Order: sequence, then structure tokens, then C-alpha cells
Amino acid sequence: MYRFQLVLMLVPYLAGLALLYVVPALLAAGVAFTDFDALSPPRWIGLDNFRRMLQDDEFWNGLRASVVFVVLAVPLRVAGALGLALLLYRSCRGVTFARAAVYLPTVVPDVAYALLWLHIFNPLYGPLNGLMVLFTGSFDGTVPGSARPTGWLLDPTAAQIAVVVMLAWTIGEGFVLLMAALQDVPRELHESAAIDGAGAWQRFSLLTLPLLAPFLLLLAIRSTIWSFQANFVAAVIVTRGGPYYATSYLPYWIYLNAAEYQRFGYAAAMMLVMLVATGLIVALQVGASQRWRAASVA
Amino acid sequence: MRSASIPDRRSLDGFGLGTGAEAWRGAVVRAVAMACAAAIFILPLVWMFSASLRPPGLPPPIRFELWPPEPTLANYSAIFGLLPLGRYALNSLTVVTAAVPLTLLTASWAGFAMAQLPRRVRGPLVAVSVMSLLVPVMSLWLTRFLVFKWLGVLDSLLALIVPAALGSSPFYVLILYWAFTRIPAELFEAARVDGCGAVRIWWSIGLPLVRPALTAVGVLSFVYYWSSFVDPMLYLSDQANYTLPVALRTLQQLHPSRWSLLMAGCVVVTLPVLLVFGLAQRHFLQEHRGSGWLGR
Repeated sequence: MYRFQLVLMLVPYLAGLALLYVVPALLAAGVAFTDFDALSPPRWIGLDNFRRMLQDDEFWNGLRASVVFVVLAVPLRVAGALGLALLLYRSCRGVTFARAAVYLPTVVPDVAYALLWLHIFNPLYGPLNGLMVLFTGSFDGTVPGSARPTGWLLDPTAAQIAVVVMLAWTIGEGFVLLMAALQDVPRELHESAAIDGAGAWQRFSLLTLPLLAPFLLLLAIRSTIWSFQANFVAAVIVTRGGPYYATSYLPYWIYLNAAEYQRFGYAAAMMLVMLVATGLIVALQVGASQRWRAASVA
Repeated sequence: MRSASIPDRRSLDGFGLGTGAEAWRGAVVRAVAMACAAAIFILPLVWMFSASLRPPGLPPPIRFELWPPEPTLANYSAIFGLLPLGRYALNSLTVVTAAVPLTLLTASWAGFAMAQLPRRVRGPLVAVSVMSLLVPVMSLWLTRFLVFKWLGVLDSLLALIVPAALGSSPFYVLILYWAFTRIPAELFEAARVDGCGAVRIWWSIGLPLVRPALTAVGVLSFVYYWSSFVDPMLYLSDQANYTLPVALRTLQQLHPSRWSLLMAGCVVVTLPVLLVFGLAQRHFLQEHRGSGWLGR
């Protein structure tokens, strides 16, 4: 009887798992093999969507942009969160304020955040170039040597880096996770290591880092999954996928295909590929960490 | 052996640099680093606010300025004239006032039930929840659209609230599940022997003991539902149903280069989140409070 009541309490969540995750995933797997424009019923076309993908330059471009973003953003985010957690995990005067300051950009709503950075990157009036001019000492709005303002979002490579940079401010979640993990490392371990003559670097690399390893792995996995999708709002609002498709990340390209071109079947097929790509990178990270663990035990 | 050879406790608090002058220097370096980190992270928000105060008619600044000349609130009244922002704010408010309590209810029910069920039921449930966290939500939105269409909630605020009635996110459920598993089982057993039902035990014994986790889920879900942009963009087409984040994008499309106006819009959308976070931040950021919601 009691157990039956428990199951009843679980029903909404089970329905959620089914309706928001399992059914959409199965539907995506089905729709991916059809030609579907949401007006007429889907038509089975087998592997045509995937064949088309192989020849679609925009798809490969999107996949490449997404992978480049992941490769740049994940180490930056994990290292940034670790550095800030190491700096701020012990209590001292003013630490609460510093922690809050580090977390704040993470809670700014996506759209407001993206618009803010579009403003910051503005080549003529944006505060970032203003700041650079202040430091380089040129007062006509240009950066010395280039004879024109730095166009953060006008050059393909610069735009890719700009999106990585703007999203590097939103690492509050990983920061809090690592801070809590660091606070759980018993003080006595550090003290006895110090008494045994271990220096700060030795204590960090031989004591803190191994104890933190599971959390770093968790963070790397979460950042990877996050990185595959989080640049969508930036692509919509800040760069519109440009310049020259440099920031047409996979989610943006999928969105265009579904919402603008009504190619739902093709979009679903690309979603499956994105799912597999995420899974592959996560598997790579888990594998690497296990080899690292095996090597450090041996 | 002299006790002085053992480093004193305070020297371990800095960067682990010896004692005396060196420890003091370490503390100074650390304070400067802390101030720099805080400044770097807060600077974009300062820019957002200061740009929103710039008088509307003024040409954009050529040089760097941290604070505009003659700051004014004119942009704020202007955006309320350009768009029915009151209406959109009401929509946003409706969504969070429905979604946050629903999330707390269904997610804590699920977490409580999972913590109480036998291991062979609980194990697969936790596994499935963790696995769904690994799925990029962006790769599911298209077919969620079809599910929502089938449920008949498209193009209404219900489309934004429905997930909350279904536990919101496996992440929230897991946070609460971990919190509930930390409560000694004997407490629940004793209440059961006294003849309490599951809902009664959840309400009067479980919930009071997981307050920190509950607060964390409340804040996280508030931030999520208030900020949500992709969902309303995909599921709503009638302008009357727009929420504030979508309205902000409309404002950008109307006036793509009136930065003081756009930044005022950003401040209006951001301020409620900052307020809620400010009220709750001690639960996230104080020492050993973090472990409450991370559930260890």
C-alpha cells in the first residue's frame, strides 16, 4: 500500500521522462528516415537524408564549427572553474562577494546576455574596443597598426573566438561544484602533507588534483554536452551564423533547416548525428580518464 | 624536536608560503587576485547597466566611458512605450508562478519516492535520469514540438509550463533524490509504523529536512523558466503570449542599433533573476552549504 503511494508520487516524473525524452528521441529516430514538412504526412525515404548529409557542405561546416567550439571551450571552462574555485574556496574577508560576482553572469538570461555581448563587441562604440583603445593609446577609435577598429564579429576566426570568449563568463555551475568538492577535502590531509615537507605545488598535484579528478571528469562531460548546444542563442542573436557561416554551429543549422526550410526529416537526421557526436566525445573523455587512472595506479 | 619546525596553521591558509612576511605577501597576492576576478566577472554587467542610462538622443560614445554623462532613466520609459512590455512581463510572471511550485512539487515527489523504493527499482531510475542528463536538449526540441502539438498545448503558455508538471528536469529530481537519501531511513520507518501515508511523510518529515536542496531547485528552476528563450521562440507564435526574453529579441529587431534602449531591456529582463539569486546566494555560495544541494 505504502509502496503503491510512492509509485503514484513518481508518476508525473515518469510521464515527463517518457514525453520529454524517450518519445522525442524515438520520434527523432523515426523521422530521420523520412521526408517530412509537417504539412503532409511523412514519407519513408530510407537513408536518403544521411546520404544528402554527406554531400552537404553546410552540414560539414556546422559540425566542424561545433567541434572547434567544444575543443576550445571545454578546457577553458574546466580550467577557469578550477582556478576560480582554488582561489575562492577558503573563507576570508570579501570572499562571499567575490563568489557572488563570479556566479552572477551565469544567471543572466541567455538573450540579455547575448545582446549585452553584441554591444560589447561593437567595433565602433563597444566598450571592449574602447578599453583596448584606452590601453593602446590611440584616440580615433582605431587600433594602432590595423588602421581600423578590431571587428570582433567581422572576421570568421575572430568571430569563432569571440563566441568562445563571451560564453567563458558563464562558468558558475562548475565553479560551485569544484568549490564544494575542494571544501570537502579534509584539512588534516593538507596539514600532514605539509608537515611531511610537501610544497604547495606537490600538495596540489599529488593530493588535491587526484581527489578532484572525478569532479573534473563530470565537469568536462557536462561542459561538452553544454558546448554542443549553448552557442545556439549566441548564433541567433550575436553572429546570425556568420560571418561566412563561421558560427553556423550544428544546432543553428538544424534550426534553420527545420524552422525556416521545413525540412524536418533532414533536421532530425542531423540531430541524431549530433547526439552520436556528443556521445563519442563523452566516451573519449571517460576512456582517457580511465587510462590516466590506470597509469597513475601502476 | 622543536615545535617551531611544524608550519603553523595559518601559513596553510595562504598559498602555502612559509611563515611571517611570506605568508603576509601570499595573503596580499590572493586578495588582489580575488579583486581582479570579481572585477572581470562583474564588468559586463556594469557595462549593461551604464549603457542603459545613456540619454536616448546622444550619439554613441567614441571613447571608452564607464559612466554616461547625464545618466537618465528615459530608456526605461521608452521601451515600455515601444512594446507591450507589461503584458509580456505578466506572461513571464504567470509562467514562473505556475512552473516553480509545480517543479518543487513533482520533482520532490519523484526524488522522495526514488529514495524510498527498493534498490532494484531505484537503480534503473537513477541510471535513466543520469542518461537523460547526457542528452543534449537541443537535439530533442524538434520532436518535442510534435509531442506538444499532440498534447494540444502549442501556442499557449501551457507549452512552457507542462514540463514543470512532469518533474521539470532529471537534474532537479536527482538533486532532491540525493538529499532525501541522506535522511536516516529509521525516521521514515518510525512514521510508517505510526500509520502515516507516503504523502504525509513526504510533507512533514521529508521536506523540512531537505530545505537547502529545495531552495536550490527553487532558485535554479526560477532562473530557468524566467530566462527560457528557445522554448517560447519555438512553441509560441501569437505575440500576445510572448514572454520577456522573446520580447527582448523583438526589441532588437525593431531597433538593432539603439544600444541604450536595448541595454535597458536587458536590465529589465535580468533584474528579477539577480534579485532572486541575491536573496538565495548564501545557500549556494557559503562554505559547506554547497554540499547540501550537490547532495554529498
